[in-house]
Amino acid sequence: MKKLFIVLLLVMTVGCAKKYTKPAEKTAPPEAPVKEEMVTEDTKMDTMRVDERVVGREEVPGGGTAGEGTLPADDQVKSIFRDVLFDYDKYDIKPDARPALDAVAAYLGQNQNINIVIEGHCDDRGTNEYNLALGERRAKSAKNYLTSLGVSPDRMIVITFGEEKPLCTAQNEACWQQNRRAHFVIVKSKFQ
Amino acid sequence: MKTGVRGQGSGIRTRKAEFRYHFKLVLLLIFFTLAPCPLPLASSEAKIYIDITSPGIRQLPFSIHASNSPTAKEIESIIKSDLEFTGLFSFVDPDLRGAELIADIDVDVSGGLKVILSLKDLVENREVLKKRYIASSIRPLAHSISDDIYYVATGGSGIFRTKLSYLVSTTSGRKELRLMDWDGKTSVSITSKGLTSSHSWTQDGKYLLYSTEKDARWKIYILDLMKFNEMVLYSSAGLNLVGGTSPDDLISFSSSKEGSSEIYLTDIYGKGLKKLTMALGIDVSPVFSPDGKRIAFVSDRGGTPQIYTMDSNGMGVRRLTFEGSYNTSPAWSPDGKWISYVGRINGKNQIFMVKSDAGDVRQLTFNGNNENPSFSPDGLFLAYDSDRDGKKGIYIRRLHIEGDRRITPRDINASSPKWSPYFK
Repeated sequence: MKKLFIVLLLVMTVGCAKKYTKPAEKTAPPEAPVKEEMVTEDTKMDTMRVDERVVGREEVPGGGTAGEGTLPADDQVKSIFRDVLFDYDKYDIKPDARPALDAVAAYLGQNQNINIVIEGHCDDRGTNEYNLALGERRAKSAKNYLTSLGVSPDRMIVITFGEEKPLCTAQNEACWQQNRRAHFVIVKSKFQ
Repeated sequence: MKTGVRGQGSGIRTRKAEFRYHFKLVLLLIFFTLAPCPLPLASSEAKIYIDITSPGIRQLPFSIHASNSPTAKEIESIIKSDLEFTGLFSFVDPDLRGAELIADIDVDVSGGLKVILSLKDLVENREVLKKRYIASSIRPLAHSISDDIYYVATGGSGIFRTKLSYLVSTTSGRKELRLMDWDGKTSVSITSKGLTSSHSWTQDGKYLLYSTEKDARWKIYILDLMKFNEMVLYSSAGLNLVGGTSPDDLISFSSSKEGSSEIYLTDIYGKGLKKLTMALGIDVSPVFSPDGKRIAFVSDRGGTPQIYTMDSNGMGVRRLTFEGSYNTSPAWSPDGKWISYVGRINGKNQIFMVKSDAGDVRQLTFNGNNENPSFSPDGLFLAYDSDRDGKKGIYIRRLHIEGDRRITPRDINASSPKWSPYFK
């Protein structure tokens, strides 16, 4: 650290040494005073664990608890919480996505103990910042649709990742379509 | 440095160590910042060798001669690289005739690093600058010499000591914020936690603002580059993306706290919130004009994302782009006359420029996808990212005499450059 500070003093003189002046090495304190401040974060989301593995352990209607019945339960839940797909640069719910969302709403109605995070995603053809805004609109469209079917908005949290977390990276329409999605993550804890 | 602390593993300790590590770079910045010095010209009247404001810029025949040591040669090569990419200098072998200016660089490495620069006008046969430098770090020293030579040659301030902040993709879905020199060297990580997206400098170069997603929250952070502490500037439900800064330290950003993404202003304490738009659709990427009077932003209010401008009080909204169905990422030139942006054409994203008072659209890039333009503080260069050679990298476009160079290594995925202001 001492060496560092001397370096800095020396560098300071770089800009303007019209005549050679001896660097003030002797006056350098032994250690630069590093001020530190821990960031105090809003902890609202701290209790929320976004963990996709939860899906497999979830109790599902008509199925057993997690254990030997895990696989079928997992598949069943996954088949309900399918990604909602969107058209390029669009954020309206397409008619063919509605039956899947209806199933999600029904499942949430029967399972009041779970909440969901809705992630909004985009393909990578747009620009990063705009895609974050677009991804959020997609997630909100899904949330609004579920709200209209009676799911309490308090049970849904929306987050956007824009084009930053693609499912696939090929440059073709099949891949782009997979990435233009609202994705559900089931969480057990309450949002407060 | 404090390796003992670094090895402790506790989150807090590691963070402190990280801060110390960054501190070095930041102080480097600051000391340059705090030590502005008049350039001592030997003659009373400053002769301009290259007039960068003239339409047909001539190249100045220039020689550089360094003393014979590895350090001297390294300094020489950095200066050459700096000056060469301005396109304003043509290098002449110092043993041959023809140069109008010659820089003689005498390096003494006994006990530190001492350099004497002597700049001679070979036409008038007189010394126009003599300067002594003391440093221990080669790169800032060399860039400093480049700045001085550039000032003598053009009468303008060089950008050789400015920095760029940019993003590097690390693990999947994460991007860290970094700083580097204008030539892509001396890269340092600023924040590596979470997913960082938009970022911006304050106009005094003392703070960096950035939006980072951690634990499913998008917050705007402000980093004091002098003290190296990070604070939350703005946090709310929804997406909060920093846009730009004004000369009087207002910060423009977008927030979807009330549902739809709208444009807001705040001060650097996160206070004095002012809402500027109410369009229900997407309003995002607000950037101030250099005089702080106008704001360019992106809106889909017309059905597709397009660039608009408005007064900084939200009035006087005008649509600026009409060609194509996807125009985003505006950046204002330092003289306020141009707005660079990204437009989608033939299925690819390209960099364009348009007069900020409308009209005169020019396309700057043609290969691959090119995004995120940002002007150098002298307005002569434009940094942007491109995937034209595979992985995304950061390129610098010379605007006054066309030329391009990639400044980030090919093995990292680098994007979203934001050019710093001059450090005063």
